Amino acid sequence: MEVFIAQVINGISLGSIYVLLVTGFNLLLLVAMIIHFAYPQVVVFSMYIIWLVLEVTGNNLILGALAGVTSSILLNLISAPLFQKVMEKRGEVDINSTMVMSMGIGMIITDVLSHGFNKGHPIAFPDTLAGGEAILRVGLISILPGQVSAFVVGVIAVSGFFLLLYKTRPGRAFRAIAEDPNGARLVGIPLLKTGLQSYALSGLLGGLIALLLAALIGSASSGLGEQVALKVIAVSIIAGLGNLVGGLVVGLSLGILEAIVQGYISGTWSNAIAFVIMLLVILAKPTGLFGLKL
Amino acid sequence: MASNDQTRAHADSQQALLTIENLSVSYGHVNALKHANLQVFKGEIVVLIGANGAGKTTLLETALGINTPLSGAIRFKGKPIGGAAVDRNVRAGICLVPEGRGVFASMSVLDNLLLGAHNNMKNVGKHLQRVYEWFPILEKRQDQIARTLSGGERQMLAIGRALMSSPELIMVDEPSIGLAPIVVNDIFNILRMLNQEGYTILLSEQNANKALKCAHRGYVLETGTVTLSGTAAQLLDDPGVREAYLGA
Repeated sequence: MEVFIAQVINGISLGSIYVLLVTGFNLLLLVAMIIHFAYPQVVVFSMYIIWLVLEVTGNNLILGALAGVTSSILLNLISAPLFQKVMEKRGEVDINSTMVMSMGIGMIITDVLSHGFNKGHPIAFPDTLAGGEAILRVGLISILPGQVSAFVVGVIAVSGFFLLLYKTRPGRAFRAIAEDPNGARLVGIPLLKTGLQSYALSGLLGGLIALLLAALIGSASSGLGEQVALKVIAVSIIAGLGNLVGGLVVGLSLGILEAIVQGYISGTWSNAIAFVIMLLVILAKPTGLFGLKL
Repeated sequence: MASNDQTRAHADSQQALLTIENLSVSYGHVNALKHANLQVFKGEIVVLIGANGAGKTTLLETALGINTPLSGAIRFKGKPIGGAAVDRNVRAGICLVPEGRGVFASMSVLDNLLLGAHNNMKNVGKHLQRVYEWFPILEKRQDQIARTLSGGERQMLAIGRALMSSPELIMVDEPSIGLAPIVVNDIFNILRMLNQEGYTILLSEQNANKALKCAHRGYVLETGTVTLSGTAAQLLDDPGVREAYLGA
């Protein structure tokens, strides 16, 4: 039982990160109408920027956090014109070309990280970011500060995101474009400008995710983005592409599932088992558990 | 007849609200509009009659800024707007109620109305109040998802949403399509009422009889070209129009 509780706690914090990743991915899918396969690579890039700024400033957390968020927003905004060029005159999601474009961006990021930072070695974040000692420890169960912040920030970020989506003018425009881009154009919602807002917002989410990942796992390597990217797109497809609520449920479930496999079977099998289960789900429900929202 | 002539005479004496001159629009190799000419004066209801594929929607959407004209000019209140962005034209006072009502089915009635004000959030409360006065049913259903509305209610929502942008010219694309005859009468009554409130209306219709009875003037569009124009009474009496569009 203790193992189970311990792993559920691990799983919830990991799942919170998947949820945020899928949310940022889906936002770009719904509003900018791109499949940003390499969104997690953008996040990992920001982790490296955070690491670099911490090194340079002698672990100034505030500057590190600011740099992480800024770099993620900027990277998203810089890639926007590339995607837009590919998307020109297309009223709907062009999965093929935007995905190839995004994979290219992802590979470039991965290569830059493996050549340009820390001589290609994985980076380790200082304990000040991870928060050090466990807050609570009962037998096998321990709660680390990084886990708490991943969960708390995850909840706040997702609630804030949904508030923005349902209670504000840009959020309304996001939903209108998500439902019917051509209809939104006829009402006078500028697709390009609103699309850019979604790049910026998913960039902001990406910066937060980078911080949480750094606090939760304490290290990163140039290949981390690719591993996570596979999971994010799998979660998104299994939940139903573009289904935000589905992404919440499936993202959190994947985190918990992986943690439980790690606890009871073996950490090295957690990816394989998670993907086998996801494969079975997609065989049973090809449009995803919660249905497409495209 | 007399009153229509008067309207026309009155209209000629002032600058047109919307002028379309020699407008050509093509989609790839298909010429959807060929040298179309049209004018709408302040205070008028003008109807654009034509069969499916005659170019009615293309004309309205091009005036809104959706398509870039191949050649020709579009002027709104004397200013050239051909090729301007939709959001700019909406701010300038043009709006379109799309064919098939085009409301956002997954969003609430209130959200749909607020989307109409996306480019003009000033006085949004006042505009909402006015729309609710005209369409009390929308206020009653403001938190309902638009999907749950009837066809007529959706058309009202689409018109209400257009009003939220505080337009001068409301373009309505085939409002009667897919609606029961009794509801169609309601919609035309609403358009007439809005016209009396001071809104100028440019309407496209296949349902020529009812549309001409509510309009001041009309244009007949055939394969992208204006083939006939005149007062509503003239068009109602025209043998060609009667045969082609009135089933007489």
